[in-house]
Amino acid sequence: MKKYLEIAKAYMKAQLIWRSDTFVDVILSVAKILFAWILWSILFEGKEQIAGLGFPAMISYYIISSYLFQLEKSAEISRQMTGMLRNGTFSKYMVIPVQTQGYFVAMEAGKIAFSAGIGFLATFLWFYLFRIPFVHTANRKLLLCGSIMVVLGLLFMALLNYFLGILTVKFEEISIFLMIKDNLSAFVTGAVIPLALLPEWMTAGMRFLPFYYVTYLPSMLFIGKCEEEAVTGLIVLGVWCMVFLVLNQVTYEHDRIKYDGAGI
Amino acid sequence: MKIIETENLTKKYKRYKKQEGLAGSIKGLFHRKYEEKIAVDDFDIHVNEGEFVGLIGPNGAGKTTLVKMLTGIIAPTSGRIQVMGFYPNKLEKAFKQQYAVVMGQKSQLFFELTTEDTLRLFKEIYGIPEDEYKRNKDFFVDLFQVQELMNVQVRTLSLGERMKMELIVALLHNPKILFLDEPTIGLDAVAGKQIRTFLKDVNESRGTTILLTSHYMEDIKVLCKRSIVVNHGRKIYDGGTELLFENYQKSKRLTIYFEHSIEPDVPEYCRVLEKKDDKLVLEIPKQNAEKVLESFIGIIRSGILELRKKK
Repeated sequence: MKKYLEIAKAYMKAQLIWRSDTFVDVILSVAKILFAWILWSILFEGKEQIAGLGFPAMISYYIISSYLFQLEKSAEISRQMTGMLRNGTFSKYMVIPVQTQGYFVAMEAGKIAFSAGIGFLATFLWFYLFRIPFVHTANRKLLLCGSIMVVLGLLFMALLNYFLGILTVKFEEISIFLMIKDNLSAFVTGAVIPLALLPEWMTAGMRFLPFYYVTYLPSMLFIGKCEEEAVTGLIVLGVWCMVFLVLNQVTYEHDRIKYDGAGI
Repeated sequence: MKIIETENLTKKYKRYKKQEGLAGSIKGLFHRKYEEKIAVDDFDIHVNEGEFVGLIGPNGAGKTTLVKMLTGIIAPTSGRIQVMGFYPNKLEKAFKQQYAVVMGQKSQLFFELTTEDTLRLFKEIYGIPEDEYKRNKDFFVDLFQVQELMNVQVRTLSLGERMKMELIVALLHNPKILFLDEPTIGLDAVAGKQIRTFLKDVNESRGTTILLTSHYMEDIKVLCKRSIVVNHGRKIYDGGTELLFENYQKSKRLTIYFEHSIEPDVPEYCRVLEKKDDKLVLEIPKQNAEKVLESFIGIIRSGILELRKKK
């Protein structure tokens, strides 16, 4: 475990090297809050509620979900893996005594920890300075479920992208899989079509998919909504994580034998 | 004790052979032709603990494929292979804990981190106890005299400095076997010599078994008592390096860099391989090499920047 913590720490330190990235991260968090404030102020003009949420709840939801969305950078794992598998440099992870899955998850955790820390501090500071009314639940169960869901959601996305990365060994070209993942994720989270426009059976079916629980549900839980879905959400997401942990291990062990690699 | 052993080791690659042009590309969508390439063919190799063995051969001879099989990166198509009692491609943790690979053209290091941070990361990855880590780090840092490079970002290191760090990282966990693939590629004469001295020291003082592939005959000659020559995936020589050079080396290559443009007299038994204003590359019959070298040093002593002898 200690080695994976050190890997996470190393990648976190690597993020800190780039000063301009650090400042841009802070500026982006600020810009996001101001943008949300302006946008929703206009939309709420003359209205008490939109989609069942008042202005403070809406702005809180928006900021939490975009904060979580910004944290999720795991697409980098599949891109990096496919590049390295194709040019032969992936072997550097094969020859060191770590589990490659653990390595990439730890790497992602390190990167997220950095962004999460910076983003959280900047968001907190700006909420305080601008006296923006932040709606959040005081229900400990919801806060706990939401927090665990965030961790599981990020873990799931890292595992999914690792799985897609391994597929390079078999298929060499995985952009089609990445496209399917991106579209499915956008569809399920309501970014393509508002979920309210879809038939009930379809939205019910989506609750069995993990993407629903990555940003949408935890954001809702933090503002005190969708309480009844909290535990089911954790179970569904937990099961998906377990499935991918096993699937990744089996696929890697099976497919790497076919790996010929270019160069060394 | 045999630390590396292979018998009839074979590796075949299957590769897609695309027909020429756009029509060929479209045809390839429906009907693909594959060709089989034998990279390593019925290869037997036995290496004893503590040996320093050179692996020589032209590009595409199968050296790298052999190293990839020995390190477990790829699986052999057929044949028997054991390294320290393990089947490499199983990639067991206990196996990976006991060897290291250094590739001249690819890096194990983290370019954004400092050298010190990178070493610490490898300490945790290999589970090296703190006192052993400190002892090894100090030993290698001292040997290479790189104390002042420990707190700079890896990406700011020169090629020679980076290679020294690659070697330190590789040796930090006291591997029993060190696989080296072109460790001196692209390095200047001074850095190349430092690395050779370092490797010799590691092999002698720590008893580390080293398998070295290199195109620089100087590396092989200075370091390896035993050499294996590979061509077309087959072993064509396995024996003493001295004997190899004595029996098979017909000529030497001499590279001379001049400070100013010069028109040198080249004896007729020398073949000019390259001639520029400030550089001359000659192939000289082995028996005449010393004579030619002496004559150049005598004539243009001040003009010579660097002399390198190659087979």
